[in-house]
Amino acid sequence: MAEKLEPAKVLYCGVCSLPAEYCEFGPDFGRCKPWLIDNAPDLYPDLLKEANEKATDNVSDKLQSVGISSGGADAATSSSQTGTSKKEEVKRLPGGKLKKKERQEVIIEKVVRNKRKCITIVKGLEQFGIKLSDASKKLGKKFATGASVVKGPTEKEQIDVQGDIIYDIVEFITDTWPDVPERSIFFIEDGKKVQAG
Amino acid sequence: MFKKFSLEEISSQNQVKASVQRRIRQSIQEEYPGLETVLEDLLPKKSPLIVVKCPNHLTLVVVNNVPLFFCIRDGPYMPTLRLLHQYPNIMKRFQVDRGAIKFVFSGANIMCPGLTSPGGVLDEEVEAERPVAIYAEGKQHALAIGFTKMSAKDIKSINKGIGVDNMHYLNDGLWKMERLD
Repeated sequence: MAEKLEPAKVLYCGVCSLPAEYCEFGPDFGRCKPWLIDNAPDLYPDLLKEANEKATDNVSDKLQSVGISSGGADAATSSSQTGTSKKEEVKRLPGGKLKKKERQEVIIEKVVRNKRKCITIVKGLEQFGIKLSDASKKLGKKFATGASVVKGPTEKEQIDVQGDIIYDIVEFITDTWPDVPERSIFFIEDGKKVQAG
Repeated sequence: MFKKFSLEEISSQNQVKASVQRRIRQSIQEEYPGLETVLEDLLPKKSPLIVVKCPNHLTLVVVNNVPLFFCIRDGPYMPTLRLLHQYPNIMKRFQVDRGAIKFVFSGANIMCPGLTSPGGVLDEEVEAERPVAIYAEGKQHALAIGFTKMSAKDIKSINKGIGVDNMHYLNDGLWKMERLD
């Protein structure tokens, strides 16, 4: 017990950050494989065999194609090259993280505040790289009403503009920020009736 | 437990005063006598020890921006997996069979059959409510850190239900956070 414990050195996979032997359970074993072949060949001896087999297959294919048509040799070699480069298929494993698709859309909603007063809520402008504080100032100035940036129930922020301006606002958004296409603006009418712009 | 863990989940972080630091060192020393010799290096007296509080009564002990231990409520301090990989012999070991590996990887608790099946190994001395390291059949490194719900003897005899709670596993939120900055 008087001896000092030395920390053990663990080889962590460069791709998935797990100890190398657990790569097969990691998010993407396919990407780990080339790293493993270089750095930890003894852990997965089958991988080395696989890689060797594939290499010999490709070489034999190339030789064959070159032999068959010596005239079209260039074409043959180029086609075999594209065959060898495996397309990286993004596999979504059930254990791994699924990327939620964040569709870029601007949602415009009208909420009644008093009996005759309402506010228009604009959500999703920040997805187009628009600074919400600038946007709210411009909106307020244009429509001569109050506009403010409000934090919604989720982390997302939205712009509240006083008054009912949903019809004018579409034109204003597409004029001021040409990045925003008209088809990505949606109104909400009793549940997301996807009424494009 | 740490399925979802990121910098946003931290509710507060404070540097603790020397008395609290001493108390933490003492409880870690009692819990893991194997770490005694290296404790000076891991938790130096002079270095600021930061305690990070997170929702669900979770406390992290952080030194030099690296989380080293965590605990739930006032439970025992448990090392992070990165630390355990460096000093594998400080905790008792349980081993699960191969089939259970992928479930543990998604945060599932460890059921008794996984430990009593041919691929599993149980350390008879382990009592209930104790931290254990979970290893996998055929693997050299720890897979997860768990908190026993039943003693090893009960797990063997009853062989039903949750044996060990999965507190921290490979590639979870805490594993991904090697440094906090």
